[in-house]
Amino acid sequence: MLDARVWVLWALTTLLAASSARNPLYAAVLLGVTTVVGTVCAADRAQRVPLSPLRFAALAIPLSALFNGLTAHIGDTVILRLPDWLPLLGGPVTLEALVFGAINGLTLTVIFSGFAVFNQVTPVRDLIKLTPRAFHEAGVVLSIALTFIPQTTRSLKRIREAQAVRGHRVRGLRDWLPIVVPLLVSGLERSMALAEAMVARGYGAVSDREQPLRTQGLLALGLLALLGGWLTWLFLPSWRWIGLGAMIAGAGLIAVVVWLAGRGISHTTYRRRRWTTRDTLIVLGCGLTIAATLTPLPLVNRSTLYYSTYPALTLPAFDPFVGLALLGLLVPAVVDAEGQADGIRSLRPEAIGGVHESSGQETEDG
Amino acid sequence: MIHFDHLTYTYPGSHHPVLADVTLHIDEREFVLVAGPSGVGKSTLLRCLNGLVPHFTGGKLSGSVAVAGHDPIAEGPHMLSRVVGFVFQDPEAQFVMDRVEDEIAFALENAAIPPTEMHVRVEEVLNLLDLVPLRDRTLDMLSGGEKQRVAIATALAFRPRILVLDEPTSQLDPQSAEDVLQALVRLNDEVGLTVVLAEHRLERVLPHADHLIYLAPPSVEGGRGEALNGPPRQVLHQMDLIPPLVALGKELGWEPLPLTVKEGRMFAEEAVSDLRFQVSSSNLKPETLKPETALQIRGLSFAYDGAPALHDVTLTIGPGELVALVGRNGSGKTTLLRCIVGLLRPEHGQITLAGEPLVGWETADICRRIGYLPQESDDLLFADTVAEEMAVTLRNHGLADCPPIAPDDLLERLGLGGLAMSYPRDLSVGERQRVALGAVTVTRPQILLLDEPTRGMDYPAKRELVRMLRGWQAEGTATLLVTHDVELAAQIADRVVVLSQGEIIADGSVADVLATSSFFAPQVARLFPGTGWLTVNDALAGLSALSFGG
Repeated sequence: MLDARVWVLWALTTLLAASSARNPLYAAVLLGVTTVVGTVCAADRAQRVPLSPLRFAALAIPLSALFNGLTAHIGDTVILRLPDWLPLLGGPVTLEALVFGAINGLTLTVIFSGFAVFNQVTPVRDLIKLTPRAFHEAGVVLSIALTFIPQTTRSLKRIREAQAVRGHRVRGLRDWLPIVVPLLVSGLERSMALAEAMVARGYGAVSDREQPLRTQGLLALGLLALLGGWLTWLFLPSWRWIGLGAMIAGAGLIAVVVWLAGRGISHTTYRRRRWTTRDTLIVLGCGLTIAATLTPLPLVNRSTLYYSTYPALTLPAFDPFVGLALLGLLVPAVVDAEGQADGIRSLRPEAIGGVHESSGQETEDG
Repeated sequence: MIHFDHLTYTYPGSHHPVLADVTLHIDEREFVLVAGPSGVGKSTLLRCLNGLVPHFTGGKLSGSVAVAGHDPIAEGPHMLSRVVGFVFQDPEAQFVMDRVEDEIAFALENAAIPPTEMHVRVEEVLNLLDLVPLRDRTLDMLSGGEKQRVAIATALAFRPRILVLDEPTSQLDPQSAEDVLQALVRLNDEVGLTVVLAEHRLERVLPHADHLIYLAPPSVEGGRGEALNGPPRQVLHQMDLIPPLVALGKELGWEPLPLTVKEGRMFAEEAVSDLRFQVSSSNLKPETLKPETALQIRGLSFAYDGAPALHDVTLTIGPGELVALVGRNGSGKTTLLRCIVGLLRPEHGQITLAGEPLVGWETADICRRIGYLPQESDDLLFADTVAEEMAVTLRNHGLADCPPIAPDDLLERLGLGGLAMSYPRDLSVGERQRVALGAVTVTRPQILLLDEPTRGMDYPAKRELVRMLRGWQAEGTATLLVTHDVELAAQIADRVVVLSQGEIIADGSVADVLATSSFFAPQVARLFPGTGWLTVNDALAGLSALSFGG
């Protein structure tokens, strides 16, 4: 089991690499990497993302190609010409614009795939832990929403079948009504049942405390400073630096308020993940990818990152060093495959010992 | 430990109290069974124990409740969560996390229990509920019984003195239900926990109960919601909806009333001691010959992603025949039904409907002639009224102008005549299921496929279902009934088919298959082995024939 923060870094690096390397060959490498990582690390996890990356690609690539093909009228290889009086669409439809759109679709698929893996591999409790203490409640709500996704996907399948056995056929939008209504109703029923179960388990008994007036006042002040600073920055060029200072002060104040509010929430942690060598290796892998895509390194031909289909299609260039650097994102698959058994052992509470997340909250706040 | 004093409770918007003047007392360390038909107030009574009623539900309440020195009405569910652990019907609807250990720790983390103590408590409940091997598993990967054990563990994490469970086994197959009950018995015996459990299938729980609370339905003298309560044998004498063993014991005047087959066997042996061989040939359900076939399945095989689920299944059902399909969880029963209606495409084999092969038919077309009621029958309901549910099916099949059966007549037969304009989801479990049954039979199919129709049903609802199935059977409808309820199968089936690991391992008359099975035998068959008797009526008729003959 890897640290959730490491997965956040991995997902952000994937996003960064996909958006910097606008070359279909590198995008294909990245897609391969995310697929391998997803297969190795999320093999035994329930499907939390309702759409697989493959299906996303099947939708995103053609749609993006079509949109760009119909709206960007540049490129040498004209396939057909739409009448000029058509707003936005009128003009030549070129092969280059279609391919450019398809590459955009591929990039979107890589980003989607990266976040699908992140979503799949991160246990719900770790997602809650990632949210600041002051937003603990919001984190719980988010985690519940995530656990609802697989349940709702299963319900949807069941309801579609149940309606099919009544002779129902989905032909148009209206035909979704008999499927959507029971889905919504069962979702609401489940929400009520969960709310009741949480109340019965004492949830909310200790964190219902109102924030003191002082905290609320500071928050208002922070927001005011941020807004005032921003407006000053925009409209009073001579006072720009004062505006910037106000914005920094406002943001700092908000951070302090969030920290203060978090202190008021009584909450303990059952187990805290330990940073392991595997986590360090993944960080290094991500570092390698970021270095190759964002910084000028010797040996690396960064110009191959950018590829344009215009004015005429050419073969995209491929630098093996960049390709290798992108493989830095593959580290989770390598370390997770060999370390899954150890990971589970290292999670045992007795191996970790008691960790108390914050000071001064040893007692129950009944 | 628990005391109700003249408690009366009315839900918001209702004019009649669901609990009226309930007074009862439960001692510490008792195993209490709360019984009564659906909608009589069992869940409400349980929710009074931790203050969910009235704090979560609203409504009007009078009288008082005392639970381990606390007043749930004044203190509310948050405070009572430390004293009363509560487990609900559907385990999935109680989970916030996705892993066993995280789920158990969640409530403790939120209550700011120090980590060292938290570890001790989590270990404790994992051990108590036999969950240690599953601690790192994701909840999605667990079986229904395992999930319910996790829910119990979660409820016990606060070390409550009372564990309250609202029909925790109603969504489970018999084996999982038994696992959960055994866990509860252990908690009661070994840890001394007071257990208060609402349950429909009394035969499972009665052997373990110290105390029985029966909430009488309105028709029974005593009025709505009044509780009969006391030792199980005493209360059972005043109840009419009881397990077959108890019913037989009452009929034959066995005292003390047997609660387990073991207890009943002594009386049974006495009753038939010398005449065993005379009665063994008296099979009370003679097999009738059915030369025609309504549905024929030949050599059917199906696999889920390469994992075989059905292998070479061959089965024939005649018109008017009611075949019960039994088997353990995962034996392929539901898969077989889904293959028949075309929701799954079999790899091999052929299905013919009245001699016509169902090749290339769409599910919608097949279901015009085969009525299929899936396990989660609520998924069928979405219209605003019961009558509209019928109309939708007819429209779907293009039969709106010439319905094969008048929807009003069908509703009347289903006992829903007065509810045609009601909102289906407001009805009771049994009524909702009858609406769903109506929605799939309004095309008047020649064949009915029912998947676990009695799951979560009380005795009256079951009795109503039996009545309807018999009516259809008499009109020539062939029925394939998938069930774990062997008592129901013994009562109405002509034939029983046993499926195991995707293969048919037994197919024969009810007496031949059920009476001789060690796993699927109903209570009466266990009581009188070798006689071929399966139901209370069989036994009474057989015994009276014996005494007449003797």
